[in-house]
Amino acid sequence: MKKIKTRTRGWIMIIGMIAVIALIFTSCAENEKIAAKSGAQLWAENCQRCHNTPSPSAFSHEQWKTVGLHMQTRAQLTDKERDKIIAFLQQ
Amino acid sequence: MKRINKIGHCLLAIALILLSINSVKAQQTTADSALLGRIAILEQQVADQKPGESHFMVAGLTTFGFVSSKTTFTAPGSMGQITRANSLGDADHYELSPMFLFRHGDNLLVEFEPSFDGTNIGVNWANISYFAAPGLVVHAGYFVVPFGIYSKKLAAGWIDKLAGDPAGLDLPGTDFGIGFSGGFPLGDMKWSYDVSLTNGLQLLPDGELQNAGIVDNNKGKMLSGRVSLLPFSNSSLEIGVSALHSNAGDAGSNFTSANVTMYGADINFVKTFSPFLVNIKGQYNKINVTPQTYTSPVDSSLFSYNNVTSSAFAQISVRPVGSDSFLKNFELAYRYSNYTTPAGSAWGQNFHENDFGLDYWLSWRTVLKFTYAQSRSLSTTSVTAGGTPGLTNINSLYLQFSVEF
Repeated sequence: MKKIKTRTRGWIMIIGMIAVIALIFTSCAENEKIAAKSGAQLWAENCQRCHNTPSPSAFSHEQWKTVGLHMQTRAQLTDKERDKIIAFLQQ
Repeated sequence: MKRINKIGHCLLAIALILLSINSVKAQQTTADSALLGRIAILEQQVADQKPGESHFMVAGLTTFGFVSSKTTFTAPGSMGQITRANSLGDADHYELSPMFLFRHGDNLLVEFEPSFDGTNIGVNWANISYFAAPGLVVHAGYFVVPFGIYSKKLAAGWIDKLAGDPAGLDLPGTDFGIGFSGGFPLGDMKWSYDVSLTNGLQLLPDGELQNAGIVDNNKGKMLSGRVSLLPFSNSSLEIGVSALHSNAGDAGSNFTSANVTMYGADINFVKTFSPFLVNIKGQYNKINVTPQTYTSPVDSSLFSYNNVTSSAFAQISVRPVGSDSFLKNFELAYRYSNYTTPAGSAWGQNFHENDFGLDYWLSWRTVLKFTYAQSRSLSTTSVTAGGTPGLTNINSLYLQFSVEF
């Protein structure tokens, strides 16, 4: 009985995860206000969620591209956020 | 005669002018060739500097410091025993972790972070990420299992506001496997996901769980994930929930049927209330292991207990970022943490800790931390299970320096 209960719990988790992944393809709309945010604004809002906002002079043009990808894997930034923040930090 | 002289002067003047023109032309040709040479050198330098498809860089962090602690252990019915320790760069509070990042094009990133903790050299992560599509990053290798926010996002010394880590949040740890993550806008809001399939946790003979990534002890795998929602358009609030399921028993052992289920919830709120930046973070974890029968190391008798563990922390820090004076570099922090392990087990305890911190930020990524930590741990262990009952109080003072490079 306990085994069945555990299996059921496992299946519920798997179905839940699949449902989450399915949401990816159904909920990717942003409104105009969000779309109009500048790289500087996104830099200020997102970086400080975990750490202090980095100085643009901390890394070179190419380094920021690499750091941007690394940070996307940590903070689950959207692609647009990543690109805008990198462009701001490269200035 | 005068006329001849005049003609002579004119010819001389013309000859001098012609000579001057030739001389200027010769100088100009020399200048042009020098300029062309210089341009060629600059062009070569620019060509040498062009980014290319790949990029390699080294970043990372280091943390070191000093801790002075006083431990008082009081066994039931006896006087407290006091031990004191002063330590520089001890294993719990020292770290040197260079991080190697290799980017190939715009879609492929390899991350490798070895770490020296004062005693051993280990690996924090070694994985490859493929940025497959907007909102879909596929990663494989050895990576931090997605669960909660502390381990993956806040544990680095230059990010953490306090010197130590909250107890009981090291599970599940880092593991071998494959994962998917991404973030998406949702109107004014935003949400993200991070899921993985990895080898899993191991249940030890006393019922304690060993971190993932050490041994692959069975055919089962661990499914783990976190989903978060950022309900405000300024991303100031993030609420996350996590879940994990893993087969944990060694293949062929008495624990073959053992499974682990973990649930977690976390919150992250960061907002400026001028002139203060207020930072609130918290996480709650609960771990359930399916009931098993364990063998006492003391008398080989069989015993069982409710193998449920919970851990939590709540933290607030305040920094006057709007101040014009040097005060803007200071940050005050407080954290409460609780770690409750199974009563009747060999490691049963009810642990509480209060941490008070004053940080001085030398730059955005360099910090000097003073932390006072006071903890109280009441053992709920069983002597039959091999535990030691008693009360342990620890008072510690940390001076810690951390930098990201």
